[in-house]
Amino acid sequence: MKKTSGAIDLALIAVFAAFVAACAMISIPMPFGVPITLQTLGVLLTGLVLGPWRGFLSVVLYLLVGFAGLPVFAGGTGGLGVLSGMSVGYLLAFPFASLAAGALAIWFVRAGFKVRYAWLTVAAAVGSFAVIDLAGIFGMMVVGQTDFVTAFGYNLPFVLGDAVKVFAASAIAVAVNKAFPVLLAARKPAAA
Amino acid sequence: MNGLFSLYAPGDSVFHRLPVGWKYLIMFAATFVGLLLRNPWVSLGVLAAVTLALTACGVGLRHALGLPPAVWLTAGFLLAYQIAVGAWATGVVVACNLVGALYASRILTATTPGPVLVDALVAAARPLRFVGADPERIGLAVMLMARSLPMMWDAFGQVRDAARARGRERNYFALVAPVVVRAVGYAQATGEALMARGLGERRSR
Repeated sequence: MKKTSGAIDLALIAVFAAFVAACAMISIPMPFGVPITLQTLGVLLTGLVLGPWRGFLSVVLYLLVGFAGLPVFAGGTGGLGVLSGMSVGYLLAFPFASLAAGALAIWFVRAGFKVRYAWLTVAAAVGSFAVIDLAGIFGMMVVGQTDFVTAFGYNLPFVLGDAVKVFAASAIAVAVNKAFPVLLAARKPAAA
Repeated sequence: MNGLFSLYAPGDSVFHRLPVGWKYLIMFAATFVGLLLRNPWVSLGVLAAVTLALTACGVGLRHALGLPPAVWLTAGFLLAYQIAVGAWATGVVVACNLVGALYASRILTATTPGPVLVDALVAAARPLRFVGADPERIGLAVMLMARSLPMMWDAFGQVRDAARARGRERNYFALVAPVVVRAVGYAQATGEALMARGLGERRSR
């Protein structure tokens, strides 16, 4: 068993925070009008690739740098202004989505579950729908002062894109975990 | 840190010369007063104040006050929705807070170069020492992230060029996997470089 060092953990956290920012800059036109960015794909992947704690810290760093004013959020925005915007719930949920997806992924992998792609898809789906979308809907209820059903309706146009991103995230995570098995490998408890 | 990842517009207004800490204070105050008080007159007042302040930054009206159409649409829709359900005051609060907070942030981001923002965040991490965190590691992570931003963006560009050469540039998701592999590789190399310099290790032993 090989444990990564503190310095490499730090570098992984920082570089993946930048990766999420780069993902947020990429905007894909969709057939149904609402363009999607790869922001949530980056968030889910960070958890699936780095595991829960590094994933969580990485996305927290991403949010901090954005709140501090660097334009790293989708649409090239930055600063605390996003806190009163409609997307506040989604943004604040990102670290927890990364945490949830990473924790489930590591649990499935360590438990020796076969068909890794399917189980990573489950992990990504929990992060995307149970964490991000739910918090996003709650955020829109608070910011827009609306009820659950209305906010749920606002969220609907994004669900298709989110589903695509969930499948993509798990496929990419499987490939990356093959290239760097140490990051999410079935580690035995520390031998010392 | 210039170009893509900065909203900074050079100038010599009062706000360009104001220390970055004060600008953060203005941003915090303007954002949270409206959010906490939920009073339509307060929110309108804050919006008017930050709009005036932004115009005084001298960065050009479009750069100062322009917002994506989606934001105007959202603000207008929220206002109309609340008026329709008979809560005009809530509508004014919600719409003004939305635009006001974006403008308040822009006072900071339009008049402060990116590296200054990064330095401010590193400085802000220093008091975290008292709750057991290691401010040096946090500062290092912030600077490392800021440095990695252009690098990650370039990685997407290079992978896209490679895909274009093979006529596959439309598949966005196929672009991501090589970028993630590069990110891990780059992070491992960076981590080893940090270790070689005795940086970034946890201090407690």
